[in-house]
Formats: sequence, structure tokens, C-alpha cells
Amino acid sequence: MGFTAESLGVLQGEPDWLRERRQSALHSFEGLPVPSKTDEEWRRTDVSRFDPGQFSKLEHLDGQKLVLPSALPKGVILKPLRQAAKDHPELVEPRLFSLVRADRDRFTALHAAFFTGGTFLYVPDGVVIDTPIVGQHFSHEGGTSVLPHTLIVAGKNTQFNYLDEYIAENDSETGYRSGSTEIFLGDGSQVGYVAVQKWGRNVWHFADQRAELQKDSTLRLFNVTLGGKFSKTRVEASLAGEGSNAELKAIYFASGEQFFDFHTLQDHRVGNTRSDLLFKGALQDVSRAVYAGLIKIEKHAARSDAYQANRNLVLSDKAKATSIPMLEIDNNDVRCTHGATVGPVDPEHLFYLRSRGIPEPTAKRMLIQGFFGDVLDRIPFEHARKLVEAELESRIG
Amino acid sequence: MATVPKVEVGTDYKEKYGFFVPEEYVFKAKRGLNPEIVKEISWMKQEPEWMTKMRLRSLEIFRKKPMPRWGADLSVIDFENIFYYLKASDKQSKTWEELPPDIKATYDRLGVPEAERKFLAGVSAQYESEVVYHSLQEELTKKGVIFTDTDSALRDHPELFKEYFGTVIPPADNKFSALNTAVWSGGSFIYVPKGVRVDIPLQAYFRINAENMGQFERTLIICDEGSFVHYIEGCTAPIYTTDSLHSAVVEIIVKKNARCRYTTIQNWSTNVFNLVTKRAMAYADATMEWVDGNLGSQITMKYPSVYLMEPGAKGDVLSVAFAGKGQHQDAGGKMIHVAPNTTSTITSKSISKGGGRTSYRGHIKIYPGANNCKSFVKCDALLLDDESRSDTYPYNDVDAENVTLGHEATVSKVSDEQLFYLMSRGITRNEAETMIVNGFIEPFTKELPLEYAVELNRLIQLEMEGSVG
Repeated sequence: MGFTAESLGVLQGEPDWLRERRQSALHSFEGLPVPSKTDEEWRRTDVSRFDPGQFSKLEHLDGQKLVLPSALPKGVILKPLRQAAKDHPELVEPRLFSLVRADRDRFTALHAAFFTGGTFLYVPDGVVIDTPIVGQHFSHEGGTSVLPHTLIVAGKNTQFNYLDEYIAENDSETGYRSGSTEIFLGDGSQVGYVAVQKWGRNVWHFADQRAELQKDSTLRLFNVTLGGKFSKTRVEASLAGEGSNAELKAIYFASGEQFFDFHTLQDHRVGNTRSDLLFKGALQDVSRAVYAGLIKIEKHAARSDAYQANRNLVLSDKAKATSIPMLEIDNNDVRCTHGATVGPVDPEHLFYLRSRGIPEPTAKRMLIQGFFGDVLDRIPFEHARKLVEAELESRIG
Repeated sequence: MATVPKVEVGTDYKEKYGFFVPEEYVFKAKRGLNPEIVKEISWMKQEPEWMTKMRLRSLEIFRKKPMPRWGADLSVIDFENIFYYLKASDKQSKTWEELPPDIKATYDRLGVPEAERKFLAGVSAQYESEVVYHSLQEELTKKGVIFTDTDSALRDHPELFKEYFGTVIPPADNKFSALNTAVWSGGSFIYVPKGVRVDIPLQAYFRINAENMGQFERTLIICDEGSFVHYIEGCTAPIYTTDSLHSAVVEIIVKKNARCRYTTIQNWSTNVFNLVTKRAMAYADATMEWVDGNLGSQITMKYPSVYLMEPGAKGDVLSVAFAGKGQHQDAGGKMIHVAPNTTSTITSKSISKGGGRTSYRGHIKIYPGANNCKSFVKCDALLLDDESRSDTYPYNDVDAENVTLGHEATVSKVSDEQLFYLMSRGITRNEAETMIVNGFIEPFTKELPLEYAVELNRLIQLEMEGSVG
């Protein structure tokens, strides 16, 4: 078994261009080395024990469930991605894997070669969708691969919200998971995107999210990472048009032996752009989190405003947190601030609550909820906010 | 504001300091690096066998280690085209009068004796690779303080030397510490006995004065229990046409309850590669402070670090970097918390101008079991024009319980409001910018002894001359 040219054969009925693209991604996969500890990005992220080949059975070919608003406005295309590749090649072919590059590393290549499931959403110029669109990706059995890919194209002055949910039926499943997303934001568009990752506790998960923002567009992107024994998420925003604004937020809650890795990029390619990043996480037991993020202000990106913060709440003596917030600033007419903190529940806060007669476990829980509170308010739409709050509640409790 | 003579830093050392004294050497090793040259250096210095062996072993390590792949571009260094050892005069001078006249003339221009007369305890000025002038106040000797050049220390205090040399920074630590251990020469050696406080800062001037001349000084400071010392190192160097390499190693041991402060003002000429490894070990309740100013050089890579070895140890790094045209200052600090209940702070201020690039690179590591530690890092960067660049690369690893770690950084330009305010008071733009920059680094300057603070302000003024508005 393994991911081979033969195993591509199960993906029948795709257009030639997609088949060729998969083959070329597989070729990249075969040629790329396993990331080693000498690569800066992987120094603290050990994938040497991961053999994707043992999970080469694809669990399903188009396994997502789309929760559609009752009536979609005219011109909106919402389809499984593989179907859309057949029906709308003119929209899909030039964009697919143009932001999330297949040859970036072994895992992006494998994802590009074998993705199944996932959504294509196209919203034509000027269209506003009030109800959020929800894509749910399920895994039912262990030992397999589930590799969905979401491609979102927002036309000029559009407004809508989208939620990707990655759900495991069995929390102890093993397997290989990914959940990558490409978002194209046209001039003046406003997009809310939320990804909630709650795969089983024993899977390997790799996600690459990248958005490109044109003039005056606004992206509000929110990640929730809860599942996987290993989860690596890249969140990248490329601010390509003046006046664009990216808000990148995330929460994570790790327990047991979970390992979470986050890699972020706020790439200010032109001036008058704004980005605001906040990643907040709590770590229990012997879990471990690595955050490495970069704000890049390119030469001509004057009057950019960028913020980046990573806050870790360490709840046990065996949990470990690494935080590497980086800046590369090539223009002086900017405002750029970043910060990182790693710390326990504030003993003074705890003392205050205890002195009010609240038992320690309850007080701790309240403080953890409070820690996440400010960032939960930034979840771009109600439906996702409620979902995340409930999910978090059950894990903290 | 006083008018500043029109000079450009990095181009007029000849006028300013009257450098370029003709080279006059007692011994000059051949260019290049091989076991024979290393043996020759060791033989010239009449070193014990263990040191010769250590040098040769370090050369092997240097050969094997790859060049660092991060930080600045070091590929232009040609290790085969460097003199690894020069000896400028035959014997150590005991008094100022005994110094060779040309060397004395150079120091006169730098104002060393002036400073000494005022309040310096000892001047240990490094001319080329060898300390040629060395004086100690009688008081220090009476207290049992040893302040000498490192070569003499090896000769005169072999036991003490062997016990500590290479223990804080082993040769295999990195490529340049291996190089230094192989060819080191000169530097300062300080031993402060138990309970002794040295109230007056000890200082040495370092200079590079020969083309293609590498300086590999080696400094070792031991603060015994309950002692205190402040060591100041200041550098000026004349400009030369080909690249020069400066690769020092500074090792410091701060024992229980002791405190050590190490202040550097580095103003190498803008063709010098300054690749320095500085590290201190701080034991129970000890305090180590690095005050580090980087103005000159073409490339500086320097991250003073403190290993907090026992509970109660405290580490401090205060760093200022100024990068002008063609310069890359890759500076920062490292705090390694090995023991619980240890604290550290790093404050970094950097200024980039005229296409210069400053990078803060730092590492906070809290080892498992090092519970209840606190660490805080603050980096501020000022970009004076739109050609310049600033980077921040902070690495924070927390593997212990109940640790509070914070990192903050901001990057900004000189604010228009501040400029407008000062200019509306009749101050020219250039002067106003200089004032703002001096204000920006004030937390650093106020930690310096007066004459250094004055010198630094003046250097900033020179750097700011003719700056783009």
C-alpha cells in the first residue's frame, strides 16, 4: 500500500487538467524530502514518525455535507470541488492550488494529489448572502485518509460567511487528515471564514489556509483547533490590494499528548493595508503547542498597520509552549506591534475568586473561559460562535 | 544645540583619530589557517601543552562545522586570507612612558590616558593581538583582584585559568567559538575574589589596526561569591579597504550572590565582520547584566546570553543597535533558564537608517523543572527612512510550570507630531531627529558611565548627519 500513481486511479471522471495536476503533485511528493529538524519550520515539529502511506485508503470521494441556505442568490455556485472542476473549469482551473502551492512541502503535495471532498463556492459581484454556508467533513472509520479542500471565490463587493467543520464520529480514530482552504477576495468583498477542526485524537492533520485580498476587501478568518494527536495549520494572508484588511484569529485547546503547530504569515504587499492576528490557546496535561508567525511589510507597503499576538495559558507542569512571533519590516511608514505570552492562570485572579467562596476547579474554569472570552467575540457570525462556545465548554468542563 | 563638525562616521578615521600608524611588528604569522600556524602561535606564546592541544582540537572542530545558514550572509569571509596572529611589541609595558611612541600617539588621539587619569582603575588596551599597555591601581591588587590580559593569565595563574577556560563556551559551541579557541590572542582576564566589590569600572580599548587582520580576543571573567565588577569594553577602528574579521569569545562566571555587569560600545569600521560569542553562567542569587551597544561594523552577529544555573539567578540584556548604509546588525540576547525561580529581561532598541538593516534575534528557553521563572522581552525598532529594514526573530520555548513569559515589539518611524513640535520651536529637522533618536535610546545611555554616554550621543549625532528627512 501507499500513495502511488495506481492509487490515483480511484479518482475517476475528472477532467484532464485536474488529472495532470494530481500527477504532477504526486511527482512533487515523491521528490520532496521528509522535513527534518534542520529546517527552521520543522525544528520543533517532528513528523519523522508519520508514514502517510499506511493511511492511503481514501475514506470517501465526495464526503462532505453542505448545509445550504434555503435559497441561494442567483449566480452563486456551491458544489463539491471535484464536481465544480468538471462543470466550471474556467473558474476552478486558474485558481486551484495557486495560493496553496502543491510543491511547498511533502504534505501540501500529497494533499494536492489526493484531495477529495471539499467545496467550491463562487459568489458573483455584488451578491450578499445573509445565512452562513456550512460545509461539514466527516470521518467515520479509522486508518484512512480524509483530505478535503475548500476553494472560495468572492466577487467584487460580495458579503458572506462560510464555516468548515471537520468532524470525527469516533474520537479515537487514527488516520491522515487535511483541510486546506484557498480564498480569493475581490475588491470590496467582506468574507467571514471559520474552520473548526475536531478530528479524532489520534490522527495526523495538516492544513494550509491562504487568502489573497484585493482592494478594500475584508477577511475575518477564525480557526478552532481541538483534534488530532498532531495538527499543523498554516494561516496566510496576502494583502495584495490597498485598503484590504485581514483579521486572523484562532483558539486552540490541547490536552493529553496532543501536539499543535501554527504557522502564520501576514504579508503586506502593498500600502494602506491592515492585519490583526491573535492566536490564543490553553494547554493541559503533556500537550505541546508551537506558534511561529511572521509579519512581512514589503518595500512599498507604506502606511500599513499590523498586529500579531500569541497568548498561551499553560495549565500543567508537563505542557510545553513555544512562541516565535517574527517581524520583517522593509518600510518605515508603518505601525507594527507584536507580542507573545506564556503563563499559568494568574494566581491573583485565582485568589480573588477563591476569596469569594468559589471552589478552585470552578474558579480555574471561569478563568479559562475568560481567557478565551475576548477572542470568541471575534468569531465573525453567530452560528459559528455558538458552535465553538459549546465545543469549548464541553472541553474545559 | 551645538553644531557638529561635518564628518561621516566610517570614512574619516584618519582625520578624527589619526590612525594608520605604520605597522611595526615583532612577529607576524603567515596568512591563512592550518595546524602549523596554530602551533606557531602557541609556540610563540610559550603556552602549556594542554592549550596547544586544545587549539588544534578546536581547529578541527572549526573545519568540520558548517557556516551558519541563518542570520547575515557570511559567505564573503575568506578564512585563508587573514592573519591570525600579530605581535606588536616585544614585551608588556608596565607604564605609559614605556609604550612605543606610535602606539602612544594613537591612544593619545583616542583619549585613553585622559580617561585613566580621571577615574579609571586600569587600562588594558589591545593593540593588534597583544595587550601592550596594562596598568592596575594598587588598590585592586591589594584586594586580590586579578585584572590582566588573557595570555599573561595563562602564564601567571595556570590553575585558575585551566579550571574555567572553555567551560562556559566550549570550542564546539559554534563555528566561530571554535575558530577563536584555535587562534585566540589577547583579551582580558578578571578574577574578583569572594566578597570583593570593585567600585570603579574596569576597561580596555580594543583596536584593529592592520589590514586583513583578525582579532580573536578571549575574555574570561570570574566573579567569586558575593563579589561585584563592572567591565567596559569599547572599540574604535580605522577604516580599511578589505574586509576584516573580529571574532571574540567572552566567558563569564558569576557565582553565588555575585553581580557582574559587562558594557560594550562597539564601533568597528564598516568593513569589519563582528561575530562574537558572549555567554555568562549565573549561579544562586547572582546577577549578570549585559549592556551592549552596536554601532559600527559591516555585519554584527552577537547575542549575549545568560545561563541561569541556580535558583534566584537573574539575567539582563540591554542592547542597542544602529545600522547605517550597508550595515547589518543582527543582535539580540539569549536567556536559558535551567533552574527554577530565575528571572530575566531583554530590552532591545534598534535604529535603521540609509538602507541599513537591524535584526533582533533572541531565544528564551525555560527547561523542564525550571518552574516559577519570569522572563520579559521588549524590542523597539525605529526606521528612519523607507530604504531601511527591521526584523524581529524571538524564539520562546517554555517547558516548565508556572512560568510567566512575555514578549513585545514595536516598529515605528520618527513620528510626525514629535518632529512638528520640535521644528515649531525653531529646531532644524536634522537636529530634531537626532534629539528623538537620542531620546529613543536613552534607557541605554543612562546605564553607561558618563564619558561613554557622551561618546555614544556624539556617535549618534555623527551618524545622523545629513540624514534623509
